[in-house]
Amino acid sequence: MYPLVSITVFLPLLGALLVLSMRKAPTQVVHGIGITTSGLTLLGALQMWSRGVSETGFAQVEQIDWMPSIGAAYRVGVDGISLPLVLLSALLFFVTFIYSAKVRKQPHAFVALMLLLETASIGAFTALDGILFYVFFEVSLVSMYFMIAEWGHEDRQRAALMFFIYTFLGSLPLLLAILGLYLGSETYTFDMRAWISDPPLDGTAAMLALVAMLITFAVKTPVFPFHTWLPAAHVQAPAAGSVILAGVMLKFGTYGIIRFAYQMTPDAFRDAGLVILAFGVVAALYGAFAALAQSDLKRLVAYTSINHMGYIIVGVAIAALATEPAIRATALDGSVLQMVSHGLVTGALFMLVGMLQDRANTREMDQFGGLLKVVPILGWSFVLAAFASLGLPGLAHFPAEFQIFLATLQVEPIAIIVILGIVVTAGLYLRAIAQVFLGEVGEKWTTKTMPDLSVRELLALGPLLLLTIALGVAPAWVLDVIHKTTANWQF
Amino acid sequence: MNLIAVAILAPLSATLLIMLLRRFPATLALLGAAIGLVGSLELLANAYNGLSQEIILPGLPGMPLRLVATPLTALLSTLVAVVCTLVMVYAVGYMKKDREQVRFFATLLLFAAAMQTLVLAGDWILLLSAWELIGLSSYLLIGFWYRKPGVKSAAMRAFLVTRSADLGLYVAVFILITNAGSSDIASTLNTSGGPAIAAGLLLLIAAMGKSAQTPLHDWLQRAMAGPTPVSALLHSATLVAAGAILLIRTAPMLAPETLLVIGIVGGVTTVVTGLIALAESDLKRMLAASTSSQYGLMLIAVGAGVPMAALLHLIAHAAIKSSLFLGAGVFQHSRDSTMLDKLQGVGRNQPKIFFGFALAALALAGIPPLSGFFSKDAIIAATLSSDHIWILLPLALAGTLLTGGYMARALRILWLKNGTSQPVSGLAWMGTGLGGLVLLAVILGAAFPGLELLLESALNIRLTENTITRFIPEILGLSAALGGLLLGWFFPVQVLLGPILPWAKRGFVVAGGFDNLMVRPALAIAHGCEKLERLLYKGVLATGRLGLRLGKAARRNDESGIDGMIFSFVRGTVNLGGKARTLQNGLIHKELAISTIASAVILVFMFIVLLTY
Repeated sequence: MYPLVSITVFLPLLGALLVLSMRKAPTQVVHGIGITTSGLTLLGALQMWSRGVSETGFAQVEQIDWMPSIGAAYRVGVDGISLPLVLLSALLFFVTFIYSAKVRKQPHAFVALMLLLETASIGAFTALDGILFYVFFEVSLVSMYFMIAEWGHEDRQRAALMFFIYTFLGSLPLLLAILGLYLGSETYTFDMRAWISDPPLDGTAAMLALVAMLITFAVKTPVFPFHTWLPAAHVQAPAAGSVILAGVMLKFGTYGIIRFAYQMTPDAFRDAGLVILAFGVVAALYGAFAALAQSDLKRLVAYTSINHMGYIIVGVAIAALATEPAIRATALDGSVLQMVSHGLVTGALFMLVGMLQDRANTREMDQFGGLLKVVPILGWSFVLAAFASLGLPGLAHFPAEFQIFLATLQVEPIAIIVILGIVVTAGLYLRAIAQVFLGEVGEKWTTKTMPDLSVRELLALGPLLLLTIALGVAPAWVLDVIHKTTANWQF
Repeated sequence: MNLIAVAILAPLSATLLIMLLRRFPATLALLGAAIGLVGSLELLANAYNGLSQEIILPGLPGMPLRLVATPLTALLSTLVAVVCTLVMVYAVGYMKKDREQVRFFATLLLFAAAMQTLVLAGDWILLLSAWELIGLSSYLLIGFWYRKPGVKSAAMRAFLVTRSADLGLYVAVFILITNAGSSDIASTLNTSGGPAIAAGLLLLIAAMGKSAQTPLHDWLQRAMAGPTPVSALLHSATLVAAGAILLIRTAPMLAPETLLVIGIVGGVTTVVTGLIALAESDLKRMLAASTSSQYGLMLIAVGAGVPMAALLHLIAHAAIKSSLFLGAGVFQHSRDSTMLDKLQGVGRNQPKIFFGFALAALALAGIPPLSGFFSKDAIIAATLSSDHIWILLPLALAGTLLTGGYMARALRILWLKNGTSQPVSGLAWMGTGLGGLVLLAVILGAAFPGLELLLESALNIRLTENTITRFIPEILGLSAALGGLLLGWFFPVQVLLGPILPWAKRGFVVAGGFDNLMVRPALAIAHGCEKLERLLYKGVLATGRLGLRLGKAARRNDESGIDGMIFSFVRGTVNLGGKARTLQNGLIHKELAISTIASAVILVFMFIVLLTY
């Protein structure tokens, strides 16, 4: 057996080195390398998927001693929580490379940075060592900073800085918590499996560590009121950056909440469950209402992310508060599936907004109108993605949100008010569709100023939309993997 | 091949074929609808012979998806298939000149498939899914002519109002699943006590949204912006019917308290929307208001504890109302309008169509031996047997009276006086579809005893106890119907409604309706959030500036020993202040570059270690 997980993690880095070593290569070749590398990575992830996960603990574990004196080692592996996210990340990077094949500004740096980001992302989801996770986590952060600062839109510098300050300051508490977990562990190890199977902290120490971890991951997710970096970063980021930021990087936050906060300080997490639940409910509703007030299409999609991530927080909190294993599994199934759904749907939405902006140089909804007639494929794709985002059955978000809400009613009936969010998102998406795509066509927009999707764009968008439908119609193929882990959840 | 699959997949695969081939949309649509109809009919035949079928599909963990063909669901499936097929035939003629037939027929079939799924669903998740999908497809159909003014807001309103009410269904489903420990509909019908009351009231809210019951009736009239075949379908056996179907199917678990509320909601609706219909000056909008009113009558029947009567009226109404709409569509094409004053005397130009329209109108009013007579009679009989006879009976009779009134008024306007019409193309197709539905509207009454027998076990309730009690409702119903017809024919609406006419014309909007009660508050909250957003953003910037001052003070104290982190933070806030250009060469950029390279080196190192391992 060859080390498949490690190959999948480091293949993009190899591609990045290749790109950097070929400073003179023409743009197409550079993008070709990017697409090929991420394609191979996707194949690796698919093979990881076919190897599957085990009923207990982690599967496909690979480890090498790294710094044995302090108990840090290179350890990677997956379970039902992380494997879907690995596949999602590999897919999103692949389609983003296809989508970004038009980037002409410093293509070498762009492709290398994206590949570095891919290694960091998949690495963060597979890392089973505290130090290793932190390294991947930080690398992704810095890569995204450069992505926004170099290839972003008009006000990119300020947004990049906001992003950086927020998440950099935000990740320091995590470092403290990791050190705390290390010092609390009996054998002084950074092995996350040990921290999970035998939580090292209890009492006040556990609560402090929990608060530290929650701050980091709440900034990353983001949860109200730690979210102010998100709209700014999204609006200014290039479309490729937005797709990755929303599709992959926001999941570090929710993944971290499950993997670190919930699994490593389970008792403290349960004690704080109601507070966390309240944060989730507020974030979901606040995100929905704030999105309703937006006139900039990209900001609107960004705020709906806060709403969708809020549901995940609700789901995880409910899982912790639940006393019956079946309900707990339902809540966790829904939360993890929601991460995958959000990646696909919001990835598609940001891509579509990027495509509109490429053509029109504006994101203000009132500048458009009647575009369904001019760009039918783009228009109908947006309609599909928007309905998926507002939680229509048959599309990706429904099974996830259904499970979260069902478990919520069973555990904390009052928190079911969070369901109001699905009406608000319906309203805001219908309004966006009506403003941008329905009605009379503005004179500015003809098939010349606004051509319909090109083959490249179709190839990038197609897989996301198809999977959105596939996940909505038959969620079982992903849920089976997730459920294997959640059905035997020990916390 | 499983017949349930045929009933659903035939229209669905026709949708996909139409979208892929992008040609022969009408032919494929007819074919898909016809095959689906055959499947449904066979299901009904099987159910008649005591055979029921079931499909179980993988769904969520522990909650599989089910489709079941019981006598009730098979009957509803047949109803949907028959109406869809005949409307499809009509639509071939109606849409002859439209350029976007591909989109039209594809959406119409999607709608049919979703509705089939809804009636055949055997578990709550599938039912909820189909429930929302018919909302989507009706949104697409109402918004079909999306470039015409007023259309997009009509489509939006239809989806939003129904989805708001759908929250009731969501929560009700959660309660039922929690209580029964299963998502199977049949096993949740044993729910009792508090959960049953709560779930029942929540189901009522969802049904009120879909069946356009007061105070949620407004969206249905606006939905007239869509093509006429769409209205015919929405109002008869599909979208609007879903609400009543939901209550009929869940009738066994509805508590007496819930039933009373349902009956009152239905009664108020039948009167309020009946008055609106009487005052209406647009033919299609009048028919739409009438739909709410008729569904109000069905809710009265459910409330009276006789869901069978509601079901019979649902079936009769499906044939009648689609006939009326299809007739109205022909009138619309001959005068290019649906305003009643433009349609004066159109019946004389289209005598055959008018004949069909008039038959359907009389059937709706409840004149024997047309189908509506029997179903209305059953509803009145139901109110007589109810514990709340003095609430429900007058309301049901008032609804019947109003039905006669507005139908007679419409017939009079359409027939008297002369006007000039233009020739209508595609009349053969339209006539065929209409003819089939009118025929059903006329003769369906004969099939009711058979249906009662078939469903007796499914609904577990007998329609009537004996023939003597049947005589009273017949007299009451017929007098109300005839009285209504005479009043409507001989008295102008100004006399009939008097001072409330202007209010009725505005649709009895209370306190600004949905806009003022729901949309405005939501937008107000949204703008509140946006203000808070700005405040937070400013707050972050202010914190940055505070950091800057602290940094300056620290630098004065200790020029050299500034922590790198604080330094970069300070630098950052300087730049946040707007000096973005200096950032390009700023220290933080370099620091970040170094840390990136350093991290990359670590990763590369790790990678090399891996390779040598």
